[in-house]
Amino acid sequence: MASFFLLIFVKKKPMINSVRNTVLAILNKNNYGYISPSDFNLFAKQAQLDIFDEYFLGYNSQINKENSRVSGTGYADITKGYEEVIDTFSVTSSLSKLYDNTYSVPTSATTGHEYYLLNKILIYSNVTSSGVTTGINGGNFLVDSTATFQTDGVSVGDVVSVVISNSVVTNFKVVAVTSQTSLQVNIASLTSFGLSYSVYKPSNLKNEAEFVHNNKITMLNKSMLTAPTTTYPAYNQEGLSLTLHPSTITDVGRVVSQYIRYPKDPKWTYISLTGGEPIFDQSQSDYQDFELPIDDGNNLVARILQYTGVSIREGDVYKFGATLEQQETQEQ
Amino acid sequence: MAYLSQYQYYENGGAAPTDANWGSYQYVSLEDVVNNFQLMYTGNHSLVNNEERYKILFHAKRAIQELNYDAFKEIKALELTVYDNLTFVLPSDYVNWVRLSLYKDGWLRPLNENIQVNSAVSYLQSNTGTLSFNGDGTVVTDASTLDTERKSGQQNSIYLNQNNAQDDASENSEANWYSDYSIGARYGLNTETANANPTYRIDKKAGVINFDSTMLNENCVLEYISDGMEGGNDSLVTVNKLFEEYIYAAIKYEILNSKFNVQEYVVNRARKDKSSLLRNAKIRLSNIHPGRLLMNLRGQNKWIK
Repeated sequence: MASFFLLIFVKKKPMINSVRNTVLAILNKNNYGYISPSDFNLFAKQAQLDIFDEYFLGYNSQINKENSRVSGTGYADITKGYEEVIDTFSVTSSLSKLYDNTYSVPTSATTGHEYYLLNKILIYSNVTSSGVTTGINGGNFLVDSTATFQTDGVSVGDVVSVVISNSVVTNFKVVAVTSQTSLQVNIASLTSFGLSYSVYKPSNLKNEAEFVHNNKITMLNKSMLTAPTTTYPAYNQEGLSLTLHPSTITDVGRVVSQYIRYPKDPKWTYISLTGGEPIFDQSQSDYQDFELPIDDGNNLVARILQYTGVSIREGDVYKFGATLEQQETQEQ
Repeated sequence: MAYLSQYQYYENGGAAPTDANWGSYQYVSLEDVVNNFQLMYTGNHSLVNNEERYKILFHAKRAIQELNYDAFKEIKALELTVYDNLTFVLPSDYVNWVRLSLYKDGWLRPLNENIQVNSAVSYLQSNTGTLSFNGDGTVVTDASTLDTERKSGQQNSIYLNQNNAQDDASENSEANWYSDYSIGARYGLNTETANANPTYRIDKKAGVINFDSTMLNENCVLEYISDGMEGGNDSLVTVNKLFEEYIYAAIKYEILNSKFNVQEYVVNRARKDKSSLLRNAKIRLSNIHPGRLLMNLRGQNKWIK
């Protein structure tokens, strides 16, 4: 138990500062030059995205190795390592409804993150209750004078999805069913009325919608045996919107996505000293460390050096970075 | 699906209808079949991978349909009264019939299918035989004489059930039957057509069973088979557990068989797997109980006088 708390409270040593120091040390060794914090941040972002992208390619290549029986288990289970890293970027969020049965893909405006890969789209098999709020009661009560919560079977622990503003779905938990027309929820954010809401049983979040390509969705909908149902829903994508099938899936918060988000942009923050070196300061509000695991530090250095080499027109720096990266790849 | 507690099984957890779960343990749901198949037989390290779920669903449903046609022996029955139009509309989930019976006076009497046609389409004709056409070019139809006379009881039958004084006690009592029927003509019964019950003929395209007029206001029981798709409600589609393994094998075979670049020996293995599992399941379902066999054997010693 003690080790559990240690894990939570021990602050991770920032990787971004050690990566920057290493990059600068290599650059300064032969007086190749210097890169500014803003340039470093740009190269760091690019390097992190490159490596992040390669995780998926590496994962696929590792699966192929497993299938050709040249990969082991236990400590030799490289696939598990890939999965663990990719899963650190996994997010589960309710998708915002655009109109009818069309929902928005995860975006920073609606779910807080841009998505890299939609891994799973789930829908609640049943809507326990739904409507529009008609009053306010202290912020932690959902009031709808036309509702019949008790008759509908709403119970403690149910999920209440509400659109408070800008189509963003906020999920609450039912703490108490106080009457047919009032629910007490766990967060006091219901400070206005006229809000669309839906109530779901957590156990009903079990039907996975299948991605169907646009060239198949029309035929699938026409098929007698395989037309999408709420048990076997489907979706197709156009632009930044997902259309759910069957078209009866229209409720607020009914569609939940588990997706892999992009890593956050790294930002090495500092205190400006007049006439001196910028001093690393991780207490700045916009500070952001790399999100990749520590063992990617060497790879990040190699990548950033390549970008820096191109930037300061030093072929040796680029070559050094490329060789370093090649060595890393061969070791894998 | 989780296992049911005994309270859920016997009383449906207190909810109506309380008999909803009776006998449910014999079956596995379509949802479970598709879920288990995806979990156990597909993936990066399986023969089946990168396959859309709707294909798995399609093959699962097709396999269940095929089983419903013969292997399951799950026969549905529907009783309806035949009224003035002398038709019995086929049930919405009808695929094929097993037996049609008349339920009368506490007896279930199996009916014979009429080998003669008893319903026809008729085109409206003028005195000279020319046809009339609608504005869209289709021919104008009319009620056929065959249908009209069948419904009014005027159509004669090769069966013994109609217009036959020998079957009518009142006519016999008036002693005038011999002047009209059978004198010097009937030397023996044609057993193929000898039946006093009403007859019928199934018009598959029209979706009805047409009866002769003696079926008027009688109760008809249709035993039929369906395809098990439960009117499109996926959550109600089930398959007997004895066929569960067969369904997985059938889905696997159908996918591998239609997939590009799968070695022939892999396809063959899947095919043999499927066939042997179907055979095993049929034997299991045939329920050859020693007790039933004994009853049949006892019948051997019965003297037929």
